[in-house]
Amino acid sequence: MSVHVSDTSVVRGACPHDCPDTCAFLYHVEDGKLVEVTGDPDHPMTRGGLCVKLKNFAEHHYNPDRLLYPMKRVGAKGSGQFERISWDEALAEIKSRWTDIIDEFGAQAIMPHVYLGHQGTLNGLTSGDAFFNRLGSSVAEKTYCESGSSTAWIMTVGPTGGLDLESLAYSKYIIVWGMNMTSTNLHAWPFVLEAKKKGAKVVVIDPVRTRTAKQADWHIPIKPGTDAALALGMMNIIIAEDLYDHDYVEQYTLGFEELKDRAAEYPPEKVSAITGIPVADILTLAREYAATQPSAIRQGVALERSRGGGQAIRAITCLPALTGAWRHVGGGAVEMPIWEFPTKFDAICRPDWIKPGTRVVNELDLGAALTGELDLDPPIKSLFVYNSNPVSQAPDQAKIIAGLQREDLFTVASELFISDTARYADILLPATMQAEQYDLMVTWGHLYMTLNQPAIEAPGECVPNVEMFRRLAKTMGFDDPYWDRTDEEMLQDFYDWDAPQLQGITLEKLKEKGYMRLNVGDADKRAPHAEGNFKTPSGKCEFKASAAADGNFVVPVWRSMYEGEQSGEPVDPLPDYLPPFESPHSNPELAARYPLNIVSPKPHAFLNTQYGNETVQQRRQGEQVVLLHPDDAAGRGIEAGSYVRVFNDRGHFEGRAELTDDMMPGLVMANVGYWPSLTRTGTSVNAISSGKHCSLGQAGTYCDNLVEVARV
Amino acid sequence: MPHIVTDNCRLCRFTDCVEVCPVECFHADEERTYIDPDVCIDCGACIPACPVRAIYDTEDMPEEFVPWIAINAERAATLPVLSARQPALPTAADRQKELGF
Repeated sequence: MSVHVSDTSVVRGACPHDCPDTCAFLYHVEDGKLVEVTGDPDHPMTRGGLCVKLKNFAEHHYNPDRLLYPMKRVGAKGSGQFERISWDEALAEIKSRWTDIIDEFGAQAIMPHVYLGHQGTLNGLTSGDAFFNRLGSSVAEKTYCESGSSTAWIMTVGPTGGLDLESLAYSKYIIVWGMNMTSTNLHAWPFVLEAKKKGAKVVVIDPVRTRTAKQADWHIPIKPGTDAALALGMMNIIIAEDLYDHDYVEQYTLGFEELKDRAAEYPPEKVSAITGIPVADILTLAREYAATQPSAIRQGVALERSRGGGQAIRAITCLPALTGAWRHVGGGAVEMPIWEFPTKFDAICRPDWIKPGTRVVNELDLGAALTGELDLDPPIKSLFVYNSNPVSQAPDQAKIIAGLQREDLFTVASELFISDTARYADILLPATMQAEQYDLMVTWGHLYMTLNQPAIEAPGECVPNVEMFRRLAKTMGFDDPYWDRTDEEMLQDFYDWDAPQLQGITLEKLKEKGYMRLNVGDADKRAPHAEGNFKTPSGKCEFKASAAADGNFVVPVWRSMYEGEQSGEPVDPLPDYLPPFESPHSNPELAARYPLNIVSPKPHAFLNTQYGNETVQQRRQGEQVVLLHPDDAAGRGIEAGSYVRVFNDRGHFEGRAELTDDMMPGLVMANVGYWPSLTRTGTSVNAISSGKHCSLGQAGTYCDNLVEVARV
Repeated sequence: MPHIVTDNCRLCRFTDCVEVCPVECFHADEERTYIDPDVCIDCGACIPACPVRAIYDTEDMPEEFVPWIAINAERAATLPVLSARQPALPTAADRQKELGF
């Protein structure tokens, strides 16, 4: 809770969460106890405030349900019956089981499973990559979020940070495309408001009239998974009406003639039929966007969550080069600025330890991998889960649970709590929470290096992931100096501190200041692509992408920096619209049984599943709600407040119906993040999610699912 | 559930809250500020900013403040948004002293 803080000692920290904002923290400590966590008032984005998710962050550290000691399973799988053991016993058991598995099946029978439950350099997404590469496990492809966007962005403009969110203050026309910013990118919203005060128009394109859409000047509802068609339709108008920047296109882009032909296939009437947006609105949007400079697009990750999501990001990312928006401060597009940081991912992940030909297993295929539906040889015999909770967050929930119940599967989970995934583990390892550990945060929404310093002692026998992997490495007999380094030495080795972006920035200074901005130009002057300078092979914005020649790929950072075994399916070098796998329009046969499309965006008060077990946050988030348009409810006998069952062939979950014209007819919405074990049915929204991947970068298709809804 | 401004704001209207609010959910009349419950995103940044502790999270407040939920909603709906900090009311210093802050 936010109390009025009195005199306490203050330690500088940083938010650990998978959110673009990476807020700078002030930990308030009294007699060795964390009493409050507040936002740093001096940080240009944090501005002294955190968010609803972090409101009870100090108390969260003292939650009585925290996992404090290593445990071993003593009941049936999933029974939740565990007994305390020592770290030595836990490590010895892991070594013994893994040695047997490696002897019989080979190390590739072991699969790590990790995502961004923590966003640090030492303890986050890539914290175990070196260990598992050294072990010779299967390489886990971590494409829960952003992978489709990364592939598409890099194909189009290369690994550039793009537009700084702080520069939105200087935009005159802002399109927030597929993102509920006031829930999921809150600390960038004041820059949008600042632009608005100066006369900018704010447009939100989203299937749902979200709390962000309600604050915009114009909300354009769009059918889910059809964003590429809208972007191509905008190009069609911009080119046909000669609203594009000839000189910019000539000098700094590649493949304009081909793009022009492609866009010609998307006249407004056709786009209107696909997207559900009136022709007049498509015309107005295209004309205003092109004519009002500087124009900015804030791309949401939601765009990638359908079959053609990657191509949608490709198409949208072409727009600012077509209009020359990049010429201006405040013009261009925001995807994620992570590429501006000189992080040495090879030094972190050690892909040189991966034996050529090592197989890749995608994490979104976990259920299929564990149940044998994927024909894997050797089969997965051990799963090591950290920084993630696939039972709630991955698609095909029922299959994952069936797989985790396999008696011959040896599962280890490192966790803060006994999550719905950890519940199925054979061995549990206790992890530290953010105020108890040291880390330099990875950031995907701003341009600051932010250091988290420990403020309190770790409780029980909790250890940071980085220490857990040191222990595992020693246990497995790895004598590489990689694991002999301190946290500090690792951070020195994991960044290129001599890079121009880090000039004047050191760990020592970060300890004092907490955060420092990269030397990439100030927000009121920065226009990174005013003169092209794209990070593609041609140095231009590639409407026609040269990277398509090698077929589909996942950006290496999402796969332990492994370059091998990319899926390589053919990829259209030009952006195009690919209809969803599941929609009434594209799949009428399936829609005859399951006529409603569902989207499952992030919750407001939980961070994915984190805080889903906190009583206070449960009250703030409320129980699982299913949003429906009144027309869809009427024919089904559903009234506001009635409990409904949402289902398809993959599974079901239940929620309380809320009827609102914030939804378009034919669309259902239910937030992800609820712990299945805490719901009425023991399932949550990902019970109905398809395991299919987006056409670029293997992203999930969480917003490309058909369901039926019935009153319970 | 949103946040609310309670009686301590009356005759003060320091508006430090407005400066830290990321979504511009504060509205004001001549006497005090109010929070629009449909716009407030529950971040709580305004709570420690208020010099007279007038702001509460409705999930975590004494029972006596319950009537303020409706007052904030009703008044915010009819008053203009306050999007920048304003000078405190002339009575603010005395009122702050009276309130014991």
